[in-house]
Amino acid sequence: MNLQDFSLDTITLAGSLESKLDAARDAGFSQITLWAKDLVGHPQGLGAAARAVCHSKLRVNAIQVMRDYEGLSGALHGYKVDTVKEMLKICDRVEAERLLICSSTSSHASGDLDRIAADLRKVALLATPLGIAVGYEALSWGKHVSDFMLSWEAVRRANCRNLGVCIDSFHVIANCTLNGTDFEALAEIPGDKIAFVQLSDFLWNAVRSAEERIETARHLRVFPGEGVHSDMLSRMIRIIDRAGYRGDWSFEVFNDDYVQMPVSAVAERAWVSAKWVAAQSSHRSVPRDRRINYRHATIPGALSAV
Amino acid sequence: MQATPQANPLGINGIEYVEYASSEPTAFGAALETLGFQAIARHRSREIVHFRSGGMNIIVNSHASRNAGIEGTELIAFALRVRDAAAAYAHCVDRGAWPIDAHAGAMELNIPGIAGVGNSTIYFVDRYDEFQIYDVDFKPIPGVNREPSSASGMHFFGVVQTIGADRAAEWSDFYRELLDFRILPEGEYFGVLPKGVLLESPCARFYLQLVQPPESTADIDWSERLTRVGFGASDIPGLVQTLSNRGVRFVEANHVHTSERGAVCYLGGTSFEFVRSHLVNA
Repeated sequence: MNLQDFSLDTITLAGSLESKLDAARDAGFSQITLWAKDLVGHPQGLGAAARAVCHSKLRVNAIQVMRDYEGLSGALHGYKVDTVKEMLKICDRVEAERLLICSSTSSHASGDLDRIAADLRKVALLATPLGIAVGYEALSWGKHVSDFMLSWEAVRRANCRNLGVCIDSFHVIANCTLNGTDFEALAEIPGDKIAFVQLSDFLWNAVRSAEERIETARHLRVFPGEGVHSDMLSRMIRIIDRAGYRGDWSFEVFNDDYVQMPVSAVAERAWVSAKWVAAQSSHRSVPRDRRINYRHATIPGALSAV
Repeated sequence: MQATPQANPLGINGIEYVEYASSEPTAFGAALETLGFQAIARHRSREIVHFRSGGMNIIVNSHASRNAGIEGTELIAFALRVRDAAAAYAHCVDRGAWPIDAHAGAMELNIPGIAGVGNSTIYFVDRYDEFQIYDVDFKPIPGVNREPSSASGMHFFGVVQTIGADRAAEWSDFYRELLDFRILPEGEYFGVLPKGVLLESPCARFYLQLVQPPESTADIDWSERLTRVGFGASDIPGLVQTLSNRGVRFVEANHVHTSERGAVCYLGGTSFEFVRSHLVNA
């Protein structure tokens, strides 16, 4: 790990897209995790947002987030496939490396893991010509897929190289404290099948109910090193590192206080956190050069019909 | 041990045609003629010419070149022969292919296609026996032989596709899941360029070679795209002699030499590969 392996997630910061990008870069980050709404909600439109991202020189490691996608059928499935295509086009627009999907909370969704795997495979294949990877995250309150062993099983069955598990430390820790999930089982996921890792902590020892878990997740997360589960987080980071994961680490910190603070102050806290996380691993990675421009697809891109 | 026949649910049966976009159709057409192709028909409404040699069809599309701003000549599509084109298209779209909007005009044939690598398209054609798709959109060029034989039994063998670093597994998944291609074992290759990953179509009559960038990419303009067509022939030295007599010059470089296994030439602004083939002329 080195400090260039970490990124801010714009969900933590207040203000405009441009101010978020500036704050991240000024704090020392070279990559960022964006939300689709950062881009399509830009006052001057998606094109202006994409130009701002390009101008920032920050690498977009992922776009958040496709919700309630898998396990549906009929018109609902078709609607969600159309939605995921639009999300992939947004990824393409800003050369984002991954699209993140979180497990469905829909009561309409099937829990059949083979069906879930088939739906994930479909996104992975749609993403392939665009050179985009797909990360599937188990929301701890997901309807059927609610922990990392289930998301890993779905990914394993889908069997696509550009599809992996997205590990969100909040959900792992919350499940440990609420349900007794053994996070040491993370070691069973090969590093090359982890598509992305999101890190955060919170400030009380245990979540006591499903409601408190959602409330904490959406409003009260803090950066790694700031919370009360640093030992657990440190062990988790080492497990993932030892598994061979060499991808990016993003701080997904939903926090109502941080969005009332100056973005520069929040970004500086994140940079301190990056140093804390990097210190948890003895592994030092070589900075990666990802500037190979192999992607120039235009989707859908009919040049011609005979 | 005899290989188990591959599942071929789409009834893939080789290549019906490949399509180039070219801003220099005259020069590229002349290059194709050197390889034994004959311009046999022109599109009724657009600047598109149909070339044929033996069982091979090549479409040269300068209309598409202008629309897409392509300078020079670029391989932009291949069309797979399948049992049922509409069913193959629906199967692929259902599994995660991007559908390509056809731009057929009034009374023109709508050939279903899906997005391939870069800006390329993979089309599906199911009428290739008695009725041919070209009969709808193309007008024959008067006075030319519409069934020219190919030089030395030359036939379509495969297509080379450049891919990004570490993308071979992803593209292999793409072709396996959508079109039932299989990866050939490492070390099994054809021709003179023993690199990349080779995929075999379920009909075992068409190969895709996936080539990743070389180690040092700093000075190389590398993009993902269809790069060149490979032609098969049973007698490569004989074919090379025939084509040399017509003025084709084959590449002789550090890593590429003409041999019994194959040869490479640059012609008409693009490259072609010739591969010793076990396939019969389709």
